[in-house]
Amino acid sequence: MTLQEFYDRIGGDYKATISRLPSEALIKKFVLKYPGDPSFNQLKDALAAQDWELAFRASHTLKGVAQNLGMDRLYKTAATLCDAVRGPKPLEDASLWPPVVAAHEEVLAAIREL
Amino acid sequence: MSDKEKILIADDSAMNRAILTEMLGDGYEILEAENGRQAVAILQSATDIDLLLLDIMMPEMDGFEVLAMMNKYHWIDEVPVIMISAENASSYVERAYDLGATDYISRPFDMAVVRRRVINTLMLYAKQKRLVRLVAEQVYEKEKSNSTMINILSHIVEFRNGESGMHVLHIQTATDILLHTLVQKTDKYHLTAADISLISTASALHDIGKINIPESILNKPGRLTKEEFEVMKTHTTIGSEILEKLPFQQESDLVKTAYAICRWHHERWDGRGYPDGLKGEQIPIAAQVVSLADVYDALTSERCYKKAFDHDTAVKMILNGECGQFNPLLLECLTECGAQLHAELSIASDTGNQLHRLADAQHISDALLRESALPGQNHIVQSLSRMQQKGRFFNQSVRCIQFDYDSATGHLSFSAWAAEHMGVPKDLHLPDEVEETGFAPADIARIQKALRATSPEHPYTELSMLLPVDGELRWHHVRLCSLWSDDSVPTYIGAAGQADPAEQFFDYHHDLYHDVLTNAYNRRFFEKQLRKLMEVDAIAMLDLDQFKQINDVYGHHAGDDALRILVSAVTACVRSRNDALVRYGGDEFLLIFPHIPEHIFIKRLEQIRATVQALHMIEYPDLHLTVSIGGVYGACTLDPGIRQADKLLYQAKECRNKCITAAFSAEEAEKPKPNQESDKL
Repeated sequence: MTLQEFYDRIGGDYKATISRLPSEALIKKFVLKYPGDPSFNQLKDALAAQDWELAFRASHTLKGVAQNLGMDRLYKTAATLCDAVRGPKPLEDASLWPPVVAAHEEVLAAIREL
Repeated sequence: MSDKEKILIADDSAMNRAILTEMLGDGYEILEAENGRQAVAILQSATDIDLLLLDIMMPEMDGFEVLAMMNKYHWIDEVPVIMISAENASSYVERAYDLGATDYISRPFDMAVVRRRVINTLMLYAKQKRLVRLVAEQVYEKEKSNSTMINILSHIVEFRNGESGMHVLHIQTATDILLHTLVQKTDKYHLTAADISLISTASALHDIGKINIPESILNKPGRLTKEEFEVMKTHTTIGSEILEKLPFQQESDLVKTAYAICRWHHERWDGRGYPDGLKGEQIPIAAQVVSLADVYDALTSERCYKKAFDHDTAVKMILNGECGQFNPLLLECLTECGAQLHAELSIASDTGNQLHRLADAQHISDALLRESALPGQNHIVQSLSRMQQKGRFFNQSVRCIQFDYDSATGHLSFSAWAAEHMGVPKDLHLPDEVEETGFAPADIARIQKALRATSPEHPYTELSMLLPVDGELRWHHVRLCSLWSDDSVPTYIGAAGQADPAEQFFDYHHDLYHDVLTNAYNRRFFEKQLRKLMEVDAIAMLDLDQFKQINDVYGHHAGDDALRILVSAVTACVRSRNDALVRYGGDEFLLIFPHIPEHIFIKRLEQIRATVQALHMIEYPDLHLTVSIGGVYGACTLDPGIRQADKLLYQAKECRNKCITAAFSAEEAEKPKPNQESDKL
């Protein structure tokens, strides 16, 4: 899979990303690092433990990472969840979490084919 | 040292730090911090960070707190900050700018934007730094020549007066000492370090009016006539007029202060001085202090009309009101700083030149600190960096536990050896990471208490405690030195400490601290060393059953043997490094367990009882030893704990060969002992 196809699949804007980041090789290097980024798992654990402060921080970091990597769908779902626990306060709308999981899984699946 | 500019990236996401590092390229030296606290620690230890890229949402300490800290320590004046938060809400952006951030880069990161902004900010600051340096060096030069001019001028006056020229220097020194003493007593005059330095400099000009007094009067060896004295008195008004008629610098603080000093340094607290008859606090404090300094120096120096008095006589004369009336508060200052005054003025007479230069340097540095820009900034940074290099070298090579603590930031750092052998991080933050220090909470409280008892004059203190080394708690002797600021009123800024294994210490004092017969610790060890423990986990008292009978029936030799064998049995059951067995008195032994879980403690005591019961004394096969034990557990202080253990021991002795334990209770400890005499067989 090319990087262009990768971004199409995960709902990202390849052109915008390549214009911001140094080179295609580096984008790929960073994207391949994503599975090692701890923020998604931190978020997952924080939600399970109902640790809203950590949930806020982890979703905030996840949002920032996704945004920097141009993974727009993951960025948007994480941003929505992040705003919902901002305060920090408990997550009232549990339906905000599955889209984050889905976007994250999508990215992981696509990375495996990259 | 690398020539590359240093950029510190503080962001909790490793990915974001990696992206930024990659974007910035090889042109910079990049340092990373994964939270605000680390960023602050790096800013604190590295004086040469050129730029900080700062995220807002971070664990431990967020970006705003980092900015607040940078403001508090004025680092924000030297290190530009670019915010890199994913928060683009205007309230966040504004707050960051308010706290001194230079720029704000929003996400997603765009390489061109990041690079441009970083370069712009670095260039801007580099220009500013160069300018600051230029100005600083010029101010330094100017300040130096100013002081020199003042001193030349004052010396001309002195010279005409037939005095050595030391007077000006003495007045400056005495004024400085008196003012520093004064600000420690009261803040009612609102004197800053800069004011003090200004007054001391201006004090040199106090007698410039004498330039206009005829030499026949000025240097008359005998008493002045009334008319002559009236002429002499005009040196105050003449001096102030000279300053008043200066064609320039009328508004300068130095001129204003010098005016007050020239005109009013012969006023008296009771209003009977000259030229204006000002009374009490109507006399500006600068003139009051210089007046006192002037009188003191006049008394202690030889003049054409008198011999020099010694320091004590001079002070006594002043206090008795023989040489004018002064502010009672200043007289208190004179009494308090008398010794210092005496010492420094004697030195001033011997090595005037050198002190002069020192005074110069002092003033220049005070003035420049006031401007918050330093002369020869490069030299200072370089010498600091050399100091740090040395510090790092020692920190890495020392083979013992060393630590230092900065109270402002809560930063605690350990020597490399301590980090390795105690299994603690090299850098910690208190109080929130107190659990990771390896010190027991009770010991930390003891350290704090000991440090509170120190002062700038007596900064050293020491205590004993258990520290985990190589996975085992061991006795250590901890020496501490509290650190204080250089301000006129020193404030506590932290502490440095070193912990040495107590074996070294106690072995050295082996004979002093061990019982000759049994080799257990002796009572002296208990009083001198163990007393330093404020709280321990458990205490036990042991006593050989029927010891008196053993002595009576088998003789004292058997008694001695019994005690020796008891001690070796007990020693075998406890941890030699941690627990302390003390021969408390006669056949009574004290066992102290600073750190032990309750169930282990009970098991240990039972084990001791059983071990003693199983002992065989080869020389006395018929003699069977048993021991009675009383033990208390649960955080207890020494004396009540011992009292309660002692009571339990007496209960145990009723039945012999028994071990009774109970949780520590302050109330139980204070109850009178039942059947006190029942043991005496």
